[in-house]
Amino acid sequence: MVSKKELKRIEDYLWEIPLGYRSDMRVPARIYADDVLLEAALQDRSIVQLINTACLPGVVKYTLAMPDIHQGYGPPIGGVAAMEIEEGVISPGAVGYDINCGVRLMSSALEAEQIKPLMGEIVHALYDRVPSGVGRGGDVRLSRRDMDDVLERGSGWVVAQGYGTKDDLEHTEERGALAGARVSAISDRAKERGSRQLGTLGAGNHFVEVGEVVDIYDEEVAQQFGLFRGQLVLWIHTGSRGLGHQVCTDYVKSMQQAVTKYGIRLPDRELVCAPINSPEGQEYVAAMACAANYAWANRQMLMHRVRMTMDDVLAPHFKDRAFKLVYDIAHNIAKVEDFVINGRTTKLVVHRKGATRSFGPGHPALPADYRAVGQPVLVVGTMGTASYVMVGTAEAAEKSFASSCHGAGRVMSRRAAQRQVRAEELQGRLAQQGITIRGRWKGLAEEAPEAYKDIDRVVNVVHKAGLARKVARTVPLGVIKG
Amino acid sequence: MMPRYEQLEHTADLALRIYGQDLSELFANAAYAMFCQLADLEHIGLSMQRHVRVEGTDYESLLVNWLNELIYLHETRGEVYSSFDIHELSPQGLQATVSGERSEDIHTIIKAATFHDLAIHGTDSGYEATIVLDV
Repeated sequence: MVSKKELKRIEDYLWEIPLGYRSDMRVPARIYADDVLLEAALQDRSIVQLINTACLPGVVKYTLAMPDIHQGYGPPIGGVAAMEIEEGVISPGAVGYDINCGVRLMSSALEAEQIKPLMGEIVHALYDRVPSGVGRGGDVRLSRRDMDDVLERGSGWVVAQGYGTKDDLEHTEERGALAGARVSAISDRAKERGSRQLGTLGAGNHFVEVGEVVDIYDEEVAQQFGLFRGQLVLWIHTGSRGLGHQVCTDYVKSMQQAVTKYGIRLPDRELVCAPINSPEGQEYVAAMACAANYAWANRQMLMHRVRMTMDDVLAPHFKDRAFKLVYDIAHNIAKVEDFVINGRTTKLVVHRKGATRSFGPGHPALPADYRAVGQPVLVVGTMGTASYVMVGTAEAAEKSFASSCHGAGRVMSRRAAQRQVRAEELQGRLAQQGITIRGRWKGLAEEAPEAYKDIDRVVNVVHKAGLARKVARTVPLGVIKG
Repeated sequence: MMPRYEQLEHTADLALRIYGQDLSELFANAAYAMFCQLADLEHIGLSMQRHVRVEGTDYESLLVNWLNELIYLHETRGEVYSSFDIHELSPQGLQATVSGERSEDIHTIIKAATFHDLAIHGTDSGYEATIVLDV
């Protein structure tokens, strides 16, 4: 374990483990946190995992932990590491098993207050019609050809089937399809695991949430994102399901040999990697893009179901509903992006594991209607606490490879949560706060709000450190969990 | 009696310490421990048998590959296994028969078995291993 006295305070909310703390580090490791969040990070092995990640070949400047950092496997969750294209490596374990796990936010033309009397009906209908939980496949069965299309075209394929709009694609990171996807890099096993899971939520921390915008911090940006105080909004959090899990499994396995071949020494075998420009590295890049596209297709399909369900329940009561996608972002992915390093624009592969991209105003990757203000940074909380919409900043490019936090971050193990929380009691407690929840008892207890850090504190650190700025805060009214 | 496994604290995922008098028992207990997280094994019958073959480069990679093979079979066949009979075991390969049945009463999705902090140690009473599962 690392102790606080070994950390150097660089700024009010930035701490550093200097190069040389461990002899195998190639760059320092930096943590964005206040005193309370830093103490939380020091309680588990997350900082050691961040230091391990600082040992990977080609890593640039520093590895970074966001304030929602917690222990994972390989790098910590909430970890960012950027590698040079020429000398650097790509690591499947540094992306994670749930490739392109991510979040999307839908706005509406409705006031949350108007629909509160219908919350029981809405949550029931969503739980009924959104396939969730373990062992529950979807009703979409992809043919081999459809599967190949999903892997290559992502959300675009789903929209072409009539399940969404062109506007949805405009408001999805990478327009819902990462370039370089090549189906031949995907195993039959991965396709088999994914063949019946398109449009399904899964389990763990994945959810669909009906929420209300309660605070606006930046009126101009909120307006640009189509958000207003009192508005009904919907959050969707899920990823690439069994397909992505199998892709990571396949490449963590095959790269065990690549490490020996390229003479790479690792402090943790889960950080297994290959040079980005090697055949092994390029094969993973192609496979990861396919899995990322599956995840975007999955969230697009799920959003379609959610829209249909909401329309069915609300159509008899409200004429103007207008559910629009505000934005969709990945928080487990590796991306090639340009950054200025030593005064020179350089292409880097940025691994973000439990971290969100945070592009500032003017970035060419942003949709035209957001380009002037910056990218929506979506930060999801728990079933009982707030979530935030933030906006990317120009300074994040310099400070954090344009990265920000992704959620509250766990602080309590699943086992401890099961010991301490009774799901029935939790459901009752949330009902008293006006939040209707549906899900399996075990999953609900594990995901109880007390198992997570204080999201308001996490977001305040990000805001004050300048990685992203607060735009709006939402609270849950109804949540369905896998 | 030596426990077959115990659950360790891990903030986000599942960390298990596995025990076995010999390596075959260690591998069988690792699979048992993993399926205990997925389902209530007392209620799982043994009507279905599958022959499983896995390759590795050392015992650690073999353990990860063995558990990931079972995750794949579980997820794609909808089956839960509760009995694990290891026939052959070397650092390069494993052959086993696993028994169980189809079940929809599943508690958790396990995405994968990871290499993180993985080590197999000899102890006074046999072997132990620590394994982290992504859930």
